[in-house]
Amino acid sequence: MDFLQNTLASFVSLVPVTLAQSLILAFVVLGIMIPFRMLSFPDLTSEGAFPLGGCVCGVLMAAGLSPLPAILIALLAGFVAGCCTAFIHLRFRIHTLLAGILMMTMLYSINLRIMGRSNLSVFGSATVFDWVPGLQPGFPASKIVMAGAFGLIVFALLLHFFRTEKGTAVRAVGANPDMAEAQGINVWLATIGGVGLAGAFSAAGGALMVQSQGFADVNMGLGILINGLAALMIGEAIVGKQSVLRQLAAPFVGAIVYYQLVSFCLAAGMPPPDLKLATGLFVLAMLALPSLKRSRGPAPARETVRE
Amino acid sequence: MLEIQSARKVFYKGQADEKTALNDLNLRLETGEFGVVIGSNGAGKSSMLNAISGALVLDSGKIVINGDDVTGMPVHKRAMRLARVFQDPMKGTAASMTVAENMLLAELRANRRTLRRGLNPARLAAYKERLSLLGLGLENRLDTRVELLSGGQRQSLSLIMAVGGSPELLLLDEHTAALDPRTADIVMQATIRAVEALKLTTLMVTHNMQHAVDFGHRVIMLDAGRVRLEIAGAEKTSITVPDLIGHFSVKTDRMFLAS
Repeated sequence: MDFLQNTLASFVSLVPVTLAQSLILAFVVLGIMIPFRMLSFPDLTSEGAFPLGGCVCGVLMAAGLSPLPAILIALLAGFVAGCCTAFIHLRFRIHTLLAGILMMTMLYSINLRIMGRSNLSVFGSATVFDWVPGLQPGFPASKIVMAGAFGLIVFALLLHFFRTEKGTAVRAVGANPDMAEAQGINVWLATIGGVGLAGAFSAAGGALMVQSQGFADVNMGLGILINGLAALMIGEAIVGKQSVLRQLAAPFVGAIVYYQLVSFCLAAGMPPPDLKLATGLFVLAMLALPSLKRSRGPAPARETVRE
Repeated sequence: MLEIQSARKVFYKGQADEKTALNDLNLRLETGEFGVVIGSNGAGKSSMLNAISGALVLDSGKIVINGDDVTGMPVHKRAMRLARVFQDPMKGTAASMTVAENMLLAELRANRRTLRRGLNPARLAAYKERLSLLGLGLENRLDTRVELLSGGQRQSLSLIMAVGGSPELLLLDEHTAALDPRTADIVMQATIRAVEALKLTTLMVTHNMQHAVDFGHRVIMLDAGRVRLEIAGAEKTSITVPDLIGHFSVKTDRMFLAS
């Protein structure tokens, strides 16, 4: 009884902090979802683009730049990183996964070069979270409001975009690249733009994270990909992925639920080092589920990706 | 008008299994003409269609559509001028997208895509009307994902998508070969109606000799990467299936003699 009470008490006390964190990391989940689901391009760049955004933002903040331009420049850096991954795949016909691994490995060195050391404190610099009126800066409430507002704007813009003529064309590239090309769609442009956009979101997540936690670290991306993937799987299990609306809502819902689950496990006394194993097993289970269910109903579509 | 001028393509050049797919092939199709291409496997039919659509880059030669040289254009640029229906119903549609979204993609084939909403009420109404012409009930399934349709329905959709917007050139690549006889007939009838109504310049590849006899203004027989035989005019109207098959066997006999 005591154990349950303690667990619940510490879990509840962590809810606001976790919520703030999950709203920021929702951008990374978005950066994983867009290539994976909209373009059938499993992209690993986010593992490098997330710390890239953080490092760029950290260095700029330390140099005295105001927080919003710092985020925008970080976003641009992430966009370029994503474009590079897509270009490597398209130009040299390298497998999408390998292109992502190459890019994220190279980004590690680039991130170190940008910062000049492995971590950088920006504690005390102005952040976008200070701008929320009526709330004390530095507390979870202001982060929830600010990150939530950014998330809502991005969600609304993407929802509009993927329903426009251009956005439909981008989704067609993911659904059937050969057909898309035969319908006059420039597959290169759509792929490079889409994966670049995803990199931009991952980097924006990193930039917001740095402003939230007050420091940048080259290792801040370690394991972010598997966390994001787990969050995406949860989100898709809850809201589904049958329509553009649902597919776009999944990263946000998934991030919020996933990080609360993690927080609950930690509150229940799970040793933090075991977290990656648990997350990995969870993603495996979610991906394996369709093939386990095959005996009932029609055969589920296999996960098809571009190679 | 379509012109293929001494198109040449050699696969595996310089290797033991070198294969000449197109051997200085020349072909001219007038505007509004319906050409039917026949030939045995490996005669170069698919290579020719791929060369026209841009999926295959020629070693030498030219592809001219309505007076414009498109030889150097990538597939997506040529799509402004030509539409194609593939043999495999899966290839011509985006399976995970809805019927309406597929129609939208086809409508925008020759146009600039904007940042305005894609599926608006006016478009949905137009798609409904165009799909109802098929009589397959697709007009009531605009929001159904294409992967849930049957092969025949998908191929009919591909056809409607291809002929919409009156392309300058329509390529049909054995587009009824993967269908059961009844569905193949429905799709073929719909093809003929559309081609005649819109007076489309059409090139159809088929292995069905009856189709080659019944439809089109001209039969073009390919062999070893070049045009072996052309039958048009009065000769075309009087030709029968056995006659056509006879041409195949003459060719095969010659191959026997040559070898």
